[in-house]
Amino acid sequence: MQRRDLLKAAAGAGILAAPRLAGAAGARVLRFVPQANFANLDPVWGTQYVVRNASLLVWDTLYGLDSGLVPRPQMCEGHERSDDGLSWDFRLRAGLRFHDGEPVRARDVVASLNRWMARDAMGQVLKARLDALEAVDDVRFRFRLRAPFPKLLLALAKPMPNLAAIMPERVAATDPFKQIGDYIGSGPMVFRRDEWVPGSRVVFARFDGYVPRSEPSDWLAGGKRMLVDRVEWQIIPDPGTAAAALQNGEIDWWETPIPDLVPLLRQSPGVRVDIADPLGNVGLLRFNHLYPPFNDVRARQAVAMVMNQADEMHAVVGSDDALWRPMPSVFTPGTPLYTEAGGEILKGPRDYTAAKARLAASGYNGEKVVMLVATDLAITKGQSDVTADILTRLGMNVDYVATDWGTVGARRAKQDPPAKGGWNIFHTWLAGLDCALPATNIALRTNGPKAWFGWPSSEEIQGLITRWYDAPDARVEHDVAAALNRAALDFLPYVPTGFFLGYQAWRADLTGIVKAPFPVFWGVGRG
Amino acid sequence: MLGYIVRRVLATIPVMGVVALFVFSLLYLAPGDPAAIIAGDQASPEQIALIRASLGLDRPFLVRFGEWAWRIAHGDLGTSIFTNLPVGHMIAQRIEPTLSLMLLTLVVSLLIAVPLGVLAAARQGSLVDRGVMLFAVLGFSTPVFVIGYVLAYVFALRLDWFPVQGYVPLAGGFWPFLRALILPAATLGGIYIALIARITRASMLEVLSQDYIRTARAKGLGRGAVLFVHALKNAAVPIVTVVGLGVALLIGGAVVTESVFAIPGLGRLTVDAILRRDYPVIQGVVLLFSFAYVVINLLVDLLYTVFDPRIRY
Amino acid sequence: MSARLLGDAGEVPAEALAELLSPPRRRGAVRGFIHRHPGIAAGGALVAVMIAIAVLAPVLGTVDPTALAPARRLRPPSAMYWFGTDMLGRDVYSRVIYGARVSLVVGFAVAVLASLLGTAIGLAGGFLRWLDALLMRVMDGLMSIPSILLAIALMALTRGSVRNVVIAITIAEVPRVARLVRGVVLGLRELPYVEAAVAAGTRSPMIILRHILPNTLAPLSVQATYICASAMITEAILSFIGAGTPPIIPSWGNIMAEGRALWQVKPYLVFFPAAFLSVTVLAVNLLGDGLRDALDPRLARKL
Repeated sequence: MQRRDLLKAAAGAGILAAPRLAGAAGARVLRFVPQANFANLDPVWGTQYVVRNASLLVWDTLYGLDSGLVPRPQMCEGHERSDDGLSWDFRLRAGLRFHDGEPVRARDVVASLNRWMARDAMGQVLKARLDALEAVDDVRFRFRLRAPFPKLLLALAKPMPNLAAIMPERVAATDPFKQIGDYIGSGPMVFRRDEWVPGSRVVFARFDGYVPRSEPSDWLAGGKRMLVDRVEWQIIPDPGTAAAALQNGEIDWWETPIPDLVPLLRQSPGVRVDIADPLGNVGLLRFNHLYPPFNDVRARQAVAMVMNQADEMHAVVGSDDALWRPMPSVFTPGTPLYTEAGGEILKGPRDYTAAKARLAASGYNGEKVVMLVATDLAITKGQSDVTADILTRLGMNVDYVATDWGTVGARRAKQDPPAKGGWNIFHTWLAGLDCALPATNIALRTNGPKAWFGWPSSEEIQGLITRWYDAPDARVEHDVAAALNRAALDFLPYVPTGFFLGYQAWRADLTGIVKAPFPVFWGVGRG
Repeated sequence: MLGYIVRRVLATIPVMGVVALFVFSLLYLAPGDPAAIIAGDQASPEQIALIRASLGLDRPFLVRFGEWAWRIAHGDLGTSIFTNLPVGHMIAQRIEPTLSLMLLTLVVSLLIAVPLGVLAAARQGSLVDRGVMLFAVLGFSTPVFVIGYVLAYVFALRLDWFPVQGYVPLAGGFWPFLRALILPAATLGGIYIALIARITRASMLEVLSQDYIRTARAKGLGRGAVLFVHALKNAAVPIVTVVGLGVALLIGGAVVTESVFAIPGLGRLTVDAILRRDYPVIQGVVLLFSFAYVVINLLVDLLYTVFDPRIRY
Repeated sequence: MSARLLGDAGEVPAEALAELLSPPRRRGAVRGFIHRHPGIAAGGALVAVMIAIAVLAPVLGTVDPTALAPARRLRPPSAMYWFGTDMLGRDVYSRVIYGARVSLVVGFAVAVLASLLGTAIGLAGGFLRWLDALLMRVMDGLMSIPSILLAIALMALTRGSVRNVVIAITIAEVPRVARLVRGVVLGLRELPYVEAAVAAGTRSPMIILRHILPNTLAPLSVQATYICASAMITEAILSFIGAGTPPIIPSWGNIMAEGRALWQVKPYLVFFPAAFLSVTVLAVNLLGDGLRDALDPRLARKL
């Protein structure tokens, strides 16, 4: 009885599925394997990169960052700024529509930005300086500020989470701390909620009402022209399986092939491999600043003095030396603010004798150092294994807590003493794009209890970040960056473990794949 | 007979109650914080606390169990913390692949294992018998995923007969559907074939030593008829029992097989949910699997009367 | 294994077990034993070899199985690295050899713990009628959750450690032992000599010690070997899914789990631990089959 019902249910599901498959058969489909499973789709509420990447397809932004990290108009035609910098007027370009066919109006923009400002770090700084954000008419809106905010366009354009995505007013009215339930977007692709199988499959269909800009595409700037009808994300957690599927032509594009499989993919006929993101990623070792030993700057410095970025990076990227670079800096190599000022502590031969002396001076007396290790993520695990080794050689009593990312996520949020469910150290990584700017590098914030996990407290660094926000031009920005790097590598809210690049791989018949900090689907077609 | 069925069905209620209480308290005690996972790497502790409160994770055990049991009793499995989708909907989306995989494995395993077991019993001590027994022990000693990778390497990558991963719904055509499922079913079937072949052989040997089989032979019935009609029917009870109990192996194996072949079924849903501590989904899936297991074995009990007319309730 | 699923290892006189375990008394006995019980001999010998490997791991030409050397990662098997090196440059041979410890400890610990706990629960159920219904409902509830699913769910509770893996698998295995022991007890209670002992006023603990326990020993020892084999496989599956022992511990499951992403390019990372695991589980299963045959002459002819 039960079995027959189940069979009937299965058959029923199959029949329902039939028409959409038939429809998809003639369509141009791009089958993409994303970096991770994707659990929610709210560009403001969700902060994971994979959510941002999907959101970039579904929602458009007012400005878009180009590959030179310059904000360019996207949904906006342009802006006018008053001479005192306290009033900014924007105008939407013509022809913008949401996926339900409704035009995009200024009050949708105001509602969207209000929700975003409640969540985003740059948005919060903006909000603190905001007098009013108002819709002037259907296509114009205005910021009135109490104090100048020179980074306004950057804040609106940046793809670093949280994304200033433009959604309909009724959706943007959702509590910023609750997920939206309506995925009507403004971007070039429609999220097909009915075809979404969380953990397995995400489908986007081309939005015919989207009017791309006329300029050539450059990351998030310029025209977002979709050359395929459907983008289907297939989540394949096992890299071995994903590699085999790409070789067999069962998928078209794999966002994050692991480096050890790249030689195999290179040899496979019909597969192309290249660097995915020129801005790469930054590995980091995070200290808990609330408890000994790392509440003492000398203990943190002792670790930095023996930190071997080459070993850390080999554990992350494997044997390919083209894939990593040392970075005695808190800024991403290759970006405008990169500087090695004050980076001596991470350079040159590693001096254990001096480091041990520094550690002893901090008063370390052999207490346990609790290190949280997410063993399900190769990047965190690789770094952790190497760090555990150097800490032990430094004479530290390392408690290697091997667990999964979910548990690390929960435990690192606890401010309890390390012996009572808290922690001393964990590893993670940030996108190089995020570390290109002081405002988007969450690990650099040192506002004590309000800071990211580890809760470092340094007024000097906070002051320098504010100075960057206020910097009127590139020259001042560079000076601030040098001072910030010196302060950060002396105070050490965290230790950068190195800069590393990742690969992407795709079937040779695809055209238009570009290198960017996120997959750029527009402009990708079949040759 | 009817009284027996009613009693057996009623007896499953306390069992399911124990399962429900166990599953719920298990996850209540779990240390992972879904709020922290949802908030992601960029979130501040304040934001996490807000999310936790909005999810209702800060209320006491009994309140949450009471509410949960009440909703379950009304067929509402709750809403996934991650996807905001109803758990019932997520399960429905993934039931087809798992059900197809299991049914195909079951059918193929029976078609292979029963004749093998019968053959081995008929030629006890022969090379065939020893081969079957060796295969049976090996099937139990090799981890499912190792079989999976070997099969995928040989038959998908080298020979290119089947896809290496994925699932094609039945609506996409019978052959593509079957093609995608053959390797996973072969992977999952290994241990099941071993189990059924073994019990078939044992149970056949028991039956073949009985007097009435000798009588049947003496009456001049053909060897095949004796083996497959008389003997197999009488040997069916233990075989059916093991087929029912072995569903537990299939469920456990499906979790691994679906992850090797990237099949969007309930097994992968379970693993994903556990790694992400998506409480409502874990609860729903474990309850469903246990319920299915209980129901299948209830059906097996009732099937006895069909196979063995001596059993009356 | 089939017997395990049936929950029927037969009711066997303890004398058979005693006879089996007693040392050979005369010359030629060893050869005779091997001839009469080839499964026990082969399985037992292989298990003994694995135990020796586990115990002697440090002197079998191994290096520190956790020592990292990112510079010499992913070397293929050679005279220097017999089984090659893994993605962190660790010596796979050393890891596999040390891995025997983890698998055997998990297998044996689960077998022993599940037997002890299951026996206690089974005895309690068999003797204390008021407790029986409750205990058996709980056991039925646990048994109706497929055991791997149950173990995974339990592992989601805690952080991965060998101890927690042992506990999780034990909880999943206990109900079968409890059912088995309870069945034996209920059967024995009806036997004349137990009834006589009860009638004579012998107290329950004495009855258990004198009559029941010896009689459960034989089916229990068969069951325990199957549990041991199944626990080793479950440990590997838990690690494969990412819910097992912490990866820093070189268990066969972990080595395979870490190597799985590279199964196409570096198959040896999966092959060696898989081969060791399969051989060990095979040996334990052979031992179990042999024990069952030896202890239950009624079944011996057939299985």
